Amino acid sequence: MENEKVRIGFYALTSCYGCQLQFAMMDEIIQLLDKAKIECWFMLDRDSSEDREVDIAFIEGSVSTQEEVELVKKIREKAKIVVAVGSCAVHGGVQSWGKDKELSELWKTVYGDAHVKFEPKMAEPVEKYIKVDYKIYGCPPEKKDFLYALGTFLVGSWPEDIDYPVCVECRLRGNPCILIEKGEPCLGPVTVAGCDARCPGFNVACIGCRGAVGYDVAWFDSLALEFKKKGLTKEEILERMKIFNAHNPKLEEMVNKIFGEGE
Amino acid sequence: MYIPITVDHIARVEGKGGIEIVTSDEGVKEVKLNIIEGPRFFEAITIGKKLEEALAIYPRVCSFCSAAHKLTAVEAAEKAIGFTPRPEIQDLRDLLYIGDMIESHALHLYLLVLPDYLGYSNPLAMVDKYRKEIEYAMTLKNIGSKIMDYLGSRAIHQENAILGGFGKLPTKAQFEELKKELKEALPLAEYTVELFSKLEQYEEVTDDEMVHMAVKPRNGVYGIYGDYIKVSDGFEFPVEDYKKHIVEKVVEHSFAKHSFYKGKPFMVGAISRIVNNADLLYGKAKELYTQYKDLLRYNNCFANNFAQAIELVYFIERAIDLIDDTLAKWPVKERDEVELKDGFGVSITEAPRGLLVYALEVKDGRVNYADIITPTAMNLAIMERHVRMMAEKHWQDDPEKLKLLAEMAVRAYDPCISCSVHVVRL
Repeated sequence: MENEKVRIGFYALTSCYGCQLQFAMMDEIIQLLDKAKIECWFMLDRDSSEDREVDIAFIEGSVSTQEEVELVKKIREKAKIVVAVGSCAVHGGVQSWGKDKELSELWKTVYGDAHVKFEPKMAEPVEKYIKVDYKIYGCPPEKKDFLYALGTFLVGSWPEDIDYPVCVECRLRGNPCILIEKGEPCLGPVTVAGCDARCPGFNVACIGCRGAVGYDVAWFDSLALEFKKKGLTKEEILERMKIFNAHNPKLEEMVNKIFGEGE
Repeated sequence: MYIPITVDHIARVEGKGGIEIVTSDEGVKEVKLNIIEGPRFFEAITIGKKLEEALAIYPRVCSFCSAAHKLTAVEAAEKAIGFTPRPEIQDLRDLLYIGDMIESHALHLYLLVLPDYLGYSNPLAMVDKYRKEIEYAMTLKNIGSKIMDYLGSRAIHQENAILGGFGKLPTKAQFEELKKELKEALPLAEYTVELFSKLEQYEEVTDDEMVHMAVKPRNGVYGIYGDYIKVSDGFEFPVEDYKKHIVEKVVEHSFAKHSFYKGKPFMVGAISRIVNNADLLYGKAKELYTQYKDLLRYNNCFANNFAQAIELVYFIERAIDLIDDTLAKWPVKERDEVELKDGFGVSITEAPRGLLVYALEVKDGRVNYADIITPTAMNLAIMERHVRMMAEKHWQDDPEKLKLLAEMAVRAYDPCISCSVHVVRL
């Protein structure tokens, strides 16, 4: 029977460990034990190794050191399916918010002239270095994101991506629109759904933690126009949209369009 | 020829760190806690950013204590802009913070620490034989998470804690539901104390020079917020003076700095809170404290586990009291308007693993200066000293045994390594 179990690895790059914590905190994880064998999960298991072959590799965290570049390559070699989990692995995480500054400047601000024997680099998404087969969005992802992905993998199927924004879920919940009615800089219109509009449900504007809707349907330009009408500057708009989308290749181009540049 | 004893990746802690022990014929030559988690530069990336956006980012320093980061940053920001929250709001922030405390302590004790004592490599392997304990862990964890879900929007990275109060408060029925579940969880917390009283052994590390630092709780109630820091040597200082008494240094083998008080390492955490503030405990926790006083040893880092178990009982009782206070004042207004004036504020609170410092300067509605010191950054120096003491005792033993004991010493601190990496400006 042992051989029939799906071999799972959970690997951490640079992150807050929230995606793993969310995964570990699911009561359902106990039910998983009959079906899966954990080969690597340092947060929970001392008997972990990054050198073992796995069927599914979950990777959380952004690539932020040279060692992590090597690690993701190794994981790719040993895994059948690689899943990037959470905003760090998928989008580079909030640590990429400082991407416009030089790494040396960030280093100097925090560490001064001090030397550390490891080599840091600017935070990047996992996809920059290896092929990623599936992405689980969120900071952190919802439990149902994990259950859905795992469930489909375990029955030999494949999870579907969500291709609509948080606004859809906000409307379904009947929340008042924070952007239109309260005039706050809500990123719901460009952010991939799946959280059941969690923050707007608490009267808090979306900060885009699940990242931009894929398939080039995140209309940064339309939203930037709306923000511009409310008096936000281009810099303010970019800053907010970059909290979780600093590596998005379309973002600046689309926002620039609204401010009459790069046409 | 001696091969260094290394643990590349310490398991069952938050974040990525390793242990390196080098021995020679005479004994232990070198002991290092290598902190290899990549840097995230939180202070640097939030400088110049809008205050509200920076406050949304700070909890991302750490998942195990995201509410602690959020609420400490919010308090520092409010002090900076000259805003004081209403007492009802402060009570609810305490409650949200306690949710984090309960969840974090339950996870640490049952899932991260217990497997070592019972001879397992991971908690899931314990399910067959110790199903009850795992279920207790999940129930205790769940009530902590639920408090954070209801008051903070979710258990990790709470967005519903903002300047001036909350976006939206739970309903009265939700508070009643929390209270009912907290009452049901109380016996499980008491069981945790019993369980750990049987497991704890303290002969390994005895450090009589150990100094403990903790918040002197505001309003004389054992808890999280305070305006002064108490040191177990009898010294007290206002939180604003933290830089004079918590001195950080960069060490080469770590992306996280080490901290010193009067030139020496010190400890923060549950045991440090109890060492400094045990007289403020009340209720069932006070009874258990009195009963098990001998296990709460100031000179042994392993006592931190047991102190967390006592705190689980305390914080559940405290949460029930805070809900009663809130319901007595119902309806409570969720938020007051704030004005983003310029200024500087320092907040130091008790995160699950000890003192957490946020110092923020606000200018034109933006963060002009940010300094964060986390509990693990404070504990790293003393943690390294205690791993050394463990190595000095066991350097001739089987390396596997030494590895496990060294890891257990580190785990007793409940380190949050991700947290510790990003530290302050020099």
